[in-house]
Amino acid sequence: MSLNERVQEELEALEAILMDDISIIYNENGCPELVKSTIFPSTANEVDKQYVCVTLEAKLPDGYPDCEPIVQLRNPRGLDDSTINNLYEAIKEKCSEFLGQPVIFELIEIIRESLTESNLPTCQCAVCLYGFSDGDSFTKTKCFHYFHSYCLANHLITTKRHFQEEQDKLPAWQKSTKGFQASCPVCREHINCDVEELSSAAPPKELENAQNFEVTSDLRHLQERMKQLFTYQKSRGGIIDIEAEENKLLLITESNGDTPPADNTEDPGPSLSNINESVMGDGLLSRGQRYNNCRLNSSGR
Amino acid sequence: MAALPRRIIKETQRLMQEPVPGISAVPDDSNARYFHVIVTGPEDSPFEGGLFKLELFLPEDYPMSAPKVRFITKIYHPNIDRLGRICLDILKDKWSPALQIRTVLLSIQALLSAPNPDDPLANDVAELWKVNESEAIRNAKEWTRRYAMGN
Repeated sequence: MSLNERVQEELEALEAILMDDISIIYNENGCPELVKSTIFPSTANEVDKQYVCVTLEAKLPDGYPDCEPIVQLRNPRGLDDSTINNLYEAIKEKCSEFLGQPVIFELIEIIRESLTESNLPTCQCAVCLYGFSDGDSFTKTKCFHYFHSYCLANHLITTKRHFQEEQDKLPAWQKSTKGFQASCPVCREHINCDVEELSSAAPPKELENAQNFEVTSDLRHLQERMKQLFTYQKSRGGIIDIEAEENKLLLITESNGDTPPADNTEDPGPSLSNINESVMGDGLLSRGQRYNNCRLNSSGR
Repeated sequence: MAALPRRIIKETQRLMQEPVPGISAVPDDSNARYFHVIVTGPEDSPFEGGLFKLELFLPEDYPMSAPKVRFITKIYHPNIDRLGRICLDILKDKWSPALQIRTVLLSIQALLSAPNPDDPLANDVAELWKVNESEAIRNAKEWTRRYAMGN
């Protein structure tokens, strides 16, 4: 049997076993060059319980199976780097062991076995940035992203509230007719989840032993650098003076005159009250609204 | 104030251990939700060579709500107004809890490389950017040189 016939036979067998789960790409001469298959753990067809997956891409060089296929693992879901690296090791071993014989099905099998063994996401929850411990209640979206149920519920409840608050501000003719649509925090794919069920879950375990925040000497050093830069830029007039900008803008509508810059030598402070009232909170917003009014007035003249 | 959420502690530690090139963010001494930030002007942009100070505040329900970020150093940019406020979708309706302090600051740095005068916050700057781009770029370079240098 020629090489080509042996490859043909292997691929026909793969298609017979895996059916739609495998795709074979042929080059312009009609020779097979790439085999692709997305692999899930064996969960007796309970798709809901498949928490990890990965796509195997095997390039078949001329001379396969007498030389090794070039294997790539793509779009891993729920798998961290070390799991992927271990899989690459196992694939390499299998390929050299099976040199001269069909190996694709063997590769699919070892990947599936490994996924079945560790059918628990080894990545982090994108919301709290902590991992999944045994006993944590977690959710897999249709787009294969993972969250602690507790964290996802939090996201869904908050985004729905924000949506409602925005809608309430709009005049009737601008309101959305579609209603709220939840989306995945990672890829923004639309998702539909039972919020009530999710929100009954306990917080992730790793979150419970809270650690205190400590100021290290590195941090002190950086803080010092920040202060120096602020003082230097301040001395060159490079720091935005909110107070003065506001006065300037108010004067545009009255006299178009220049305002002497206010003398503000303090680094805008970190205290919460300061932030809320003068720099970042509602105070700034209302200034912004006035700012827009001024612009409108002055350009209207 | 309630204990600092672990996510904020984790982000802070990672910012110290694996800093993002061209960006530094340091929590304040007295309020760990308030960050002092320096973003360096990207190469091949009119802001190259500048060190821009920003302030970043994580609200009570962070990461469910976006951080509040503002430029402190003066900057000539169509999407940043005279008060240092930034027009960027991920800080508003496109916020997602999968974003982090580092990704937000990277987006702001990217905004410096790609000004968008069609979605302006500073009208006069955006206007000039559209009718006479080379003069606008000259202004941006001049402001960077005058206001955003380090000592």
